Amino acid sequence: MLKTQELTLNLGPHHPSTHGVFRCVLNLEGEYITKAVNHLGYLHRGIEKLAESRTYTQFIPYNGRLDYVAGMLNEWAYVMAVEKLMGITEEIPERAEYIRVIVGELQRIASHGIYFASMALDVAGASAWFYGFRDRDEVLDLLEMVSGQRLMHNYMRFGGVAADLPDGFMNKLDKLLNKLPAAIEEYEGILLGNEIFRARTVGVAPVSREMALDYGFTGPNLRASGVDTDLRRDEPYSVYDRFKFNVPVRQNGDTFDRVIVRIEEMKESIKIIRQAMEGIPEGPVMAKVPKVIKPPVGEVYSRLENAKGHLGFHIVSDGSTKPYRLRIYSPCFVNIGIFPEMAKGLHLMDAVVALASLDIVLGEIDR
Amino acid sequence: MYGQGLIKGLSITLKHFFERKITQQYPEERPVLPDRFKGSLTLKVPKCIACGLCANSCPNNCIKIESEKDENNKKRLTGYKVMLERCLFCGFCVEACPTKALLWTKDFELTKYFREDVNLDLFSSYVPSPDDEKPAKPAKEDEESAQAS
Repeated sequence: MLKTQELTLNLGPHHPSTHGVFRCVLNLEGEYITKAVNHLGYLHRGIEKLAESRTYTQFIPYNGRLDYVAGMLNEWAYVMAVEKLMGITEEIPERAEYIRVIVGELQRIASHGIYFASMALDVAGASAWFYGFRDRDEVLDLLEMVSGQRLMHNYMRFGGVAADLPDGFMNKLDKLLNKLPAAIEEYEGILLGNEIFRARTVGVAPVSREMALDYGFTGPNLRASGVDTDLRRDEPYSVYDRFKFNVPVRQNGDTFDRVIVRIEEMKESIKIIRQAMEGIPEGPVMAKVPKVIKPPVGEVYSRLENAKGHLGFHIVSDGSTKPYRLRIYSPCFVNIGIFPEMAKGLHLMDAVVALASLDIVLGEIDR
Repeated sequence: MYGQGLIKGLSITLKHFFERKITQQYPEERPVLPDRFKGSLTLKVPKCIACGLCANSCPNNCIKIESEKDENNKKRLTGYKVMLERCLFCGFCVEACPTKALLWTKDFELTKYFREDVNLDLFSSYVPSPDDEKPAKPAKEDEESAQAS
């Protein structure tokens, strides 16, 4: 006698397509998902708590451990928050701001490069995966030149950056920027035009505009659902108000659109870096900042446009050298909240692709 | 035409197939590392004034300094241990050093067979060299605050 039965399946915690240690319990009816439950916390290191026992400066390197594929942007977000708390935002030298924009946008390209690569791998496109990593690697070479490390840079400081750009950096950057548009064209050729990829992604797991706003999406995921928003343009921080760039927006909010938005963003990042290279002034890279950081009593919330969305830091200071409480608003944590809703009714293999398209990094979700 | 995208993708991979390979044959071919590369640590012992700024700046307290006072009431270094297993490789210690005694090396192959071998004893492993002479004078106050992290 044949009978069917609902199957409970653990996706993760150690599964290559969950991009980290994310566990999702799926109820399967045949190949279709009827219910999905997120289980987070496998990479929890208590980073917010660690901040309370470190001085403000000593916490900078931990930010690279949040979203480990976009460490520079995390550091920037934290440094910006503390600068706002200290009230020295105006004193940062212009050259430092330009350097921050250059390395930040490079990091965004690297992060979107890894997104494209892992997305390709999840639809079994192994060659596209290598192309994504090839270009990301060259970007990381540049960041290594600037900061000494490939992932955990520890380059931002309160009031500027740790060191000026090294000799020969601009030449290498120029060479890379000349190469990148051709590489992005290759991405489009090898993956985006591919019929199999389109069949797997177009119309899969659509997130409507209302749903995206209800779930609190930020960043590229929100722009893919048709909301025209970008902190770099809407609330320009640093020197972003001096650059001209478009904000790519797509309407359908399906998996395909989420990929396209990021590919387009890489092109915009190249434009921003080009403008920053032209406009970068000479001068110091550090403001006069006391050696011991003691922000006044108070609290501050500051956010910036990370590669994944709005990354915010809420810091409460009691006037001592250590933060009283530090809270990280993580875009990935918010974005993953939609996955149970998204996965309902999908094929198991489509759910994997939909999860990849959200661009989650578990280091930031669990903190 | 259906399948056009597939053919285009294949033509891209085919083009790369006949290209020069970019794979680095690692153990034989050594990577070219930038000057700021953070590998292992080294200490120019004669330059060190045992001020303890490196140990204070470390987020994880992985630097242990032992020093004694000599007849002129000056501090002299007698031990310098780095618990590299806890090290974040953030570089605050190197930045804090006023005499540039503590430096990064480009040695990145830090894997060891035993856990205790990972930690560094920079004082006893120091090999004297004529380049590192007497302790240099600490940088002036204003320079320090400019570099303050």
